[in-house]
Amino acid sequence: MYTAYPVVAQQENDLGTEAQRAEGKEVYDIKCAHCHGYEGDASAVATPYLRPTPRDFTSGNYKFRSTASGELPTTEDIKRSIRLGMPYTSMPAWEGILSETEITNLAYYLKTFESAFDGPYGNPTVVEIPRAPAYSADPDHLARGREVFEANQCADCHGENGRGNGESAPELVDDWGYPIRAADMTKRWTFRASATREDVYRTFMTGLNGTPMPSYEQTIDEEDRWALVDYVWSLSRDTPDYGTTVIVQGQPSELVLGESLFEGVPETYFPIVGQVIEPGRAFYPGVNGISVRAVYNDSEIAIQLRWHDMTAETEGMNNPGIEVPMFDPAQPDTTMDGWSDAVAALLPSRTPEGLERPYFMFGDSRFPMSIWYTDLATDSAAVLTGQGAGRIADNGIALERSASYEDGVWTVQFKGPRNQGGLTMPEATFVPISFTVWDGFSGERGNKRGLSAWYHLYLEPMEAQSAVLPMAKWFLIVLGAELLIVALVNLRARRRKTA
Amino acid sequence: MNLFVFLAIAAAMVLIQFVVTRWVKLNRLAWMGIWWVALWAAFSYGINPPLPNSIILLFMAIITIALVAYLSADNEELKQAQDSIVRFMVARQYRVALLIVLFAIPAAVAAWTYVSMNEAPQPPSSGRTIHPPPPSSITFEGTAIDLTTANNPIRELQHTDEAAFAEHVANGRRIYFENCFYCHGDNMQGAGMFAHGYDPLPANFNDATTIAMLQESYLFWRIAKGAPGLPSESTPWSSAMPAWEDFLTQEEIWDVIIFLYEFTGFEPRAQGMPH
Repeated sequence: MYTAYPVVAQQENDLGTEAQRAEGKEVYDIKCAHCHGYEGDASAVATPYLRPTPRDFTSGNYKFRSTASGELPTTEDIKRSIRLGMPYTSMPAWEGILSETEITNLAYYLKTFESAFDGPYGNPTVVEIPRAPAYSADPDHLARGREVFEANQCADCHGENGRGNGESAPELVDDWGYPIRAADMTKRWTFRASATREDVYRTFMTGLNGTPMPSYEQTIDEEDRWALVDYVWSLSRDTPDYGTTVIVQGQPSELVLGESLFEGVPETYFPIVGQVIEPGRAFYPGVNGISVRAVYNDSEIAIQLRWHDMTAETEGMNNPGIEVPMFDPAQPDTTMDGWSDAVAALLPSRTPEGLERPYFMFGDSRFPMSIWYTDLATDSAAVLTGQGAGRIADNGIALERSASYEDGVWTVQFKGPRNQGGLTMPEATFVPISFTVWDGFSGERGNKRGLSAWYHLYLEPMEAQSAVLPMAKWFLIVLGAELLIVALVNLRARRRKTA
Repeated sequence: MNLFVFLAIAAAMVLIQFVVTRWVKLNRLAWMGIWWVALWAAFSYGINPPLPNSIILLFMAIITIALVAYLSADNEELKQAQDSIVRFMVARQYRVALLIVLFAIPAAVAAWTYVSMNEAPQPPSSGRTIHPPPPSSITFEGTAIDLTTANNPIRELQHTDEAAFAEHVANGRRIYFENCFYCHGDNMQGAGMFAHGYDPLPANFNDATTIAMLQESYLFWRIAKGAPGLPSESTPWSSAMPAWEDFLTQEEIWDVIIFLYEFTGFEPRAQGMPH
């Protein structure tokens, strides 16, 4: 007697050929190993300098997957992460640098770091993502999305309005114990698993393995998923729209600091990156952008700075002059506590001639900087003179200041004289300006800070010059010249005729 | 070059030459106008990256002179063209058209005045020098280094001791990924994670006009002295390049230079060759 066993068609795991994996290793050792480690275990020279920490491939935990939460990714998923990278992290997009073949070989090589790819779960099923219905800004639809957002406690990590400032956000760690930030939903361009609406949907469905972001496949039904996607979508503009110039509007009246002062004034958004240039380097700054508005009247200028910060540190102290130890992975910065949040707008100490300006760090002795500074543990602000890190002194110019923190947003307003001794800010001129933010939570103080390059303030003339007169002038000049020519030509033609 | 724009312009010209002229007789002057507009469209929309307006203006001035010269080369044709202009201004049948033209031209000038007065103001732009001439010598931690003769001491190992050379490359790699790749990027294309926050953008070492055309001593100067060591024509106040003499030893800088060339596959320009 023969026992008939049912034959189950077992699809083979997609592991590539030995030659493909060997070629993948060659690329890996040159392009990837310095962050992800030669053994794929994320233990490498650059790893301690990076947050989020480079992925440890030996765990089989991949953030971006088209498969269910906790499962392995497909080959295509791994290839996609290599191709597109992880925006606003140290993982670049390799598309266009590596060939499709190289990316495929790499994906097969990455699979060798985790034996499960060769096991019974090595060929996971893909969670189908339906085609996205058109985006709907219908208030009822978005209100439903908001309800789903609340019912699923999204705000616990992502904050009441999705700014990445939820109550538990400061304590979040990844599976390896490293701090990790909840996504700021108002900055969609920073989403790691890319940012189409299908991508957002997929992240809800599959979660991000290795992070605290779970899957909501079981808890949210199909229609509500799209309501949630569209609600999250509605929180952010499409692109960061980084600007280069703040248009400063003139006002005839007194500048009274407060919410209404900047109503209707255009806002410009600038990138903030880590200060990695001088000792005290900040490799993972807490702030990644700052929004700026400004107004002026005949004697004063007021500047408003707004930025997203997970928590307000209003205890402790801060100061641009504090000495910070050199970043050394072997001796991590242990004095992380006790630093308050702080912010500064940095201007040249005198009106620049031509292109010359102070060294954008903190100025230099050749051309010092005026630092409009406030420590948010205090309620005062001052203008400091900077001649470089460690050479910063109070210069005695009074600054008025107001500051508030609400639901993940710091708003700081400065007001000072337009004429600051050396620096005058006449109408219709460009004044160089840069920005620095200290996130106390991340241990930022002194030269350990988030900073910007030089940008400009432009003081829009209070009375715009009317175009009518110059237009009339040029119209008449050109018309007169034409009539003269036509008259001369006609005169000559008539003379010829009569002759 | 935008091939489609060029093809479209060429097609339009052919169409005018062989089809439109069946119904409308075009004189020399009209042809000149058509050529002028076609060339202007080609310069304005057919070239990528777009030419600056000042360059287009210059080109069009040259073309105008060339067209006038072409016209005046033949007395008969010049006279024909002149006559048609005079007829337009004198003959009664063109009176309405003449009036329209007489008002349209100053109106266009007035409109242009309006547009240029309402343009967003442009911040001062820098005519930045990318590879400024290096000084003849620099001081590194008290020792003078003559940049005109300095060679990378690691370079000779490339041919004499491959294993030792490989160690220096590996060390250069470590230094690069501990210090440089936040701006210059994983693939040395100047697209690191912080690059978008700096102006000027970090250098792209894959570009044939950066390290491929420089001597190793030049790189040593740029790395050791960074932005603060730049002459003023290179806007040292804006550059985010650190002065690495504060962080690295001489040998570490030579190692990372070796790594830059190994990774990109370029050869440094030999010492003694002019810049």
